[in-house]
Amino acid sequence: MKMIFSLLPVLLFLISLYLLDNFKLVSRKTLLLCLLWGVASALISYYVNNFLIEQLSLKGETFRRYFAPLTEEIAKALLVLALISRKKIGFAIDAAIYGFAAGAGFALAENMFYIFILDSDTNLVVWILRGFGTAIMHGGCTALFAMILIGGIQREKNFFLSVLTALFVGYIIHSGFNHFFLNPYLQTLLIFIVLPLLFFIVFQRSNTMLQDWLEIEFSNEIEMLRMIKQGDIKSTKAGEYLISLKKHFSAEVIVDLYWYFSLYLELSIKAKRNLMLKENGFPLIEEPDIMDKLTELNQLRRQIGKVGELALQPLVRMKHRELWKLNQLKNN
Amino acid sequence: MNVHISTLNDFTVVEVHGRVDTISASEFETRLLAVIESGASKIVLNCQGLDYISSSGLRVFLIAQKKIVAAKGQLKLCCLQPTIKEIFDISGFSSIFSISADLETATKT
Repeated sequence: MKMIFSLLPVLLFLISLYLLDNFKLVSRKTLLLCLLWGVASALISYYVNNFLIEQLSLKGETFRRYFAPLTEEIAKALLVLALISRKKIGFAIDAAIYGFAAGAGFALAENMFYIFILDSDTNLVVWILRGFGTAIMHGGCTALFAMILIGGIQREKNFFLSVLTALFVGYIIHSGFNHFFLNPYLQTLLIFIVLPLLFFIVFQRSNTMLQDWLEIEFSNEIEMLRMIKQGDIKSTKAGEYLISLKKHFSAEVIVDLYWYFSLYLELSIKAKRNLMLKENGFPLIEEPDIMDKLTELNQLRRQIGKVGELALQPLVRMKHRELWKLNQLKNN
Repeated sequence: MNVHISTLNDFTVVEVHGRVDTISASEFETRLLAVIESGASKIVLNCQGLDYISSSGLRVFLIAQKKIVAAKGQLKLCCLQPTIKEIFDISGFSSIFSISADLETATKT
């Protein structure tokens, strides 16, 4: 029973979040990696916390309230941070799920440690509180970290500042939880009601954002690529802009810019099409040349350089979401 | 956007006219799903009058395809205007749907 109450709620919560991912943004492999990272981060935190307790000679309660939340939130967040930096996370939905998985892994390891290593023979109520309260709090804090960070990136805020803000929010909630300002039962109930509600709202908003993003860009990109394929690009504003670049770049660079733009459109359309197919449960279309095209795009990106990319910014902005979108093609 | 429903041979023919975009996609989805839920398992989407389709519209096509395949039925598209056909080709959706050049061919099998 101890096992069921302390481990099951967080896993069920994670599965529920995974099922809410309409667009199947989350890959099972990465999800498992996050869960395992959570376990590893619990182990890392355990040693770091013990080391700090010895070095700082702090009372257990002071450490649990102020220091442990910081080390634990940093440890859990590291993989999420790496995934976001490598453009493997694009929206609040996948950010929340990966973040929650890392926190869930941490909570699973922590509760197992209490059950098996410390052999705590405490009242069942404590395990219910740990399972429904502490474990969900761990998942929720890392999920919040991920959602706030991806939100900052999407709004093009300073990356370092976004990391700090996201970490601060996770830390405050974790530290507040460890202070037990509220009755533990009430605190657990609050976590169990507020977090699902928060996730529901964020998922709804993120889904709408994703749909709007698909709607606006998909049609424009198809229209643009259609014009390019028909040789009518000159008559469009994008074509006029490309022609205007002749004054500033050599003919070779203009050709590279043109092909870069055209290839980007093709790959972007395919990435979005795949999202639509995944959303509706269709198998993805096998395209053996996709990796070659991605390599070619990277090669062209190198050839046109930063200046070329800047010049193309009115047409193609290679920001986080664009790179994430192209990464999705690799994963398929 | 206008939708007209008729029958030809064993097929229910859904003619769609105008634009299927963000605004009209949900109405189109309701009409199309109502046809599927009424028990029609062989459906032809006549796109002769379809002037524009956005990603929301394409998603309605996908939803319909999924429902019909689940019901072991058939969904065919026909009479796509060249620009619409190009949208399907460019996006790769041509390989997902069965597309016929005219209504006669679509309702043959």
